[in-house]
Amino acid sequence: MTAAVAVPTAVARAARPGFGSVLRAEWIKFWSVRSTAWSMAMLFVLGAGLTVLVCATSASALASQEIDEAPGSFVTWGLMIAQVTAVVLGTLVATSEYGSGMIRATLAAVPRRGSVLAAKAIVLTGTLLVVGTATAFAGYLGGNAFLTAEGIGLSLGDDGVLRAMFGSGLYLAGLGLLSMAVGLLVRHTAAALSTVLGLVFVVGNMAFLLPGEWGEWVAKVLPGNSGSPVATPVPFNPVLLDPWPGFAVFAAEVLLLLAVATVAFRRRDA
Amino acid sequence: MIVARDLTKTYGSRTAVDGISFTVEPGRVTGFLGPNGAGKSTTMRMLLGLDRPTSGSISVNGHRYADSPAPLREVGALLEARALHPGRTARNHLRWLAASNALPASRVDEVLGLVGLESVADQRVGRFSLGMGQRLGIAVALLGDPAVVVLDEPVNGLDPEGIRWVRTLARDLAAEGRTVFVSSHLMAEMALTAEHLVVIGRGRVLADCTTADFIARHAASHVRVRSPQAADLADLLRRRGCDVAADGGVLRVQGLDTTGVGDLAGASGLVLHELTLVRSSLEDAFMTLTADSVEYGAAPAGAAR
Repeated sequence: MTAAVAVPTAVARAARPGFGSVLRAEWIKFWSVRSTAWSMAMLFVLGAGLTVLVCATSASALASQEIDEAPGSFVTWGLMIAQVTAVVLGTLVATSEYGSGMIRATLAAVPRRGSVLAAKAIVLTGTLLVVGTATAFAGYLGGNAFLTAEGIGLSLGDDGVLRAMFGSGLYLAGLGLLSMAVGLLVRHTAAALSTVLGLVFVVGNMAFLLPGEWGEWVAKVLPGNSGSPVATPVPFNPVLLDPWPGFAVFAAEVLLLLAVATVAFRRRDA
Repeated sequence: MIVARDLTKTYGSRTAVDGISFTVEPGRVTGFLGPNGAGKSTTMRMLLGLDRPTSGSISVNGHRYADSPAPLREVGALLEARALHPGRTARNHLRWLAASNALPASRVDEVLGLVGLESVADQRVGRFSLGMGQRLGIAVALLGDPAVVVLDEPVNGLDPEGIRWVRTLARDLAAEGRTVFVSSHLMAEMALTAEHLVVIGRGRVLADCTTADFIARHAASHVRVRSPQAADLADLLRRRGCDVAADGGVLRVQGLDTTGVGDLAGASGLVLHELTLVRSSLEDAFMTLTADSVEYGAAPAGAAR
């Protein structure tokens, strides 16, 4: 152990950092904690695994119309549960930095707060897009095999099936981003998690109990309800918005919340 | 060089930093000294662009920290209370920091070696002792080989060997011409490390001078005299304008050195049993200076009775 500082030639010659540097830093950060790999593994296991399981157990009942639902609702079944992991991951991307005080190291290294936020958003949504889509394909391939055996299988060319595969990635990416925005605003893991989970799963379902046409519209545009139709060939709930208009509403909500979070993040003391 | 001008930070109605101005020059270690709650960490956070000053400014090398294109290569900082994720390894923590400022990955291994953490580089930092955490914090500060090094309470949690290592490191960095700014609430530690002191209490600068000046000015000494004729000697000393406090046969004399007191007693034929110069410690001087500015002072034992 010596107190001398090494000759700094390599540092002096290093290039000026740009947005790519910030992106690389956030990518290393994202994958160097175990919660990321765990969340992604859970997303895949729940998303693909439950789809296969539910298809396997329901295939004959669906074929005999004992269950009066479209088989298209079943090939992405697991995503309904797996979306929780996207919420957890998105929340942690923001709140884990506040819980540990890491945010001060982050902002001392990159004082341009907008860049930090953009890099976090790109790493998170990119990952969820890829893993979400892959999970949907795996669930479809596994689950559809059981449906095909009963003669009610869907091909990728069928209406909405391919859209639902990529739509699953899109919806999970949006949900992750929404959770990150809430995490940035609340800056506390438990509070942020309960806010998003409560909004998407509890408030989203309760809202259908609201009376009249007005109440139905409120329920339709709530984030989970507007964003999820794009992620399935045929939604279980028949009153939801159409896939792409719904996703447009969802995306607008996510971007609005992200804008509010960005303003707060740039203004507040770290 | 770090320059603070009328720097102020208020949180609601509480003023944490109250219009302070100081300059930290390169080539020497400047100690930033003050009791807990004096505003040291708040000042450090404003220096690093983490907190926004309510008014005034603090700049590094003539500009705001946040305006630096590659801040880690200009200013290296050891932040308070380990700003680390416990689940990440030391190496990965340094890797992302290096990437963020486009530093070569080879620099990570260099600083790990520099602080003596090579053998635990791939352990998660949540398992680190306080001392290992501080060493990693110092590795972070040195990562970009910066001309300005800011260390917030660097010796906290270090063992004696570690404390000496930080002291030597700070001096060596300054000797290389770097600006070294070290905060501490430990006067004795600063006296050994820093050549210049900025002392703050309750958000105001109480002293800004060389450490030698500070000691000379604030660490008052007195002469302790024991004599069977203490009362006579006390009268004599008082007539010479000395400040004398008597406690039985022991006098506490200020205003004359041991030679003066001895000569005076000898000339009057008074017997002395003891004649000692008592230097008050630096810690005492610091306590005296900041006594009014301690945020949460403990009442002396028995004061409640």
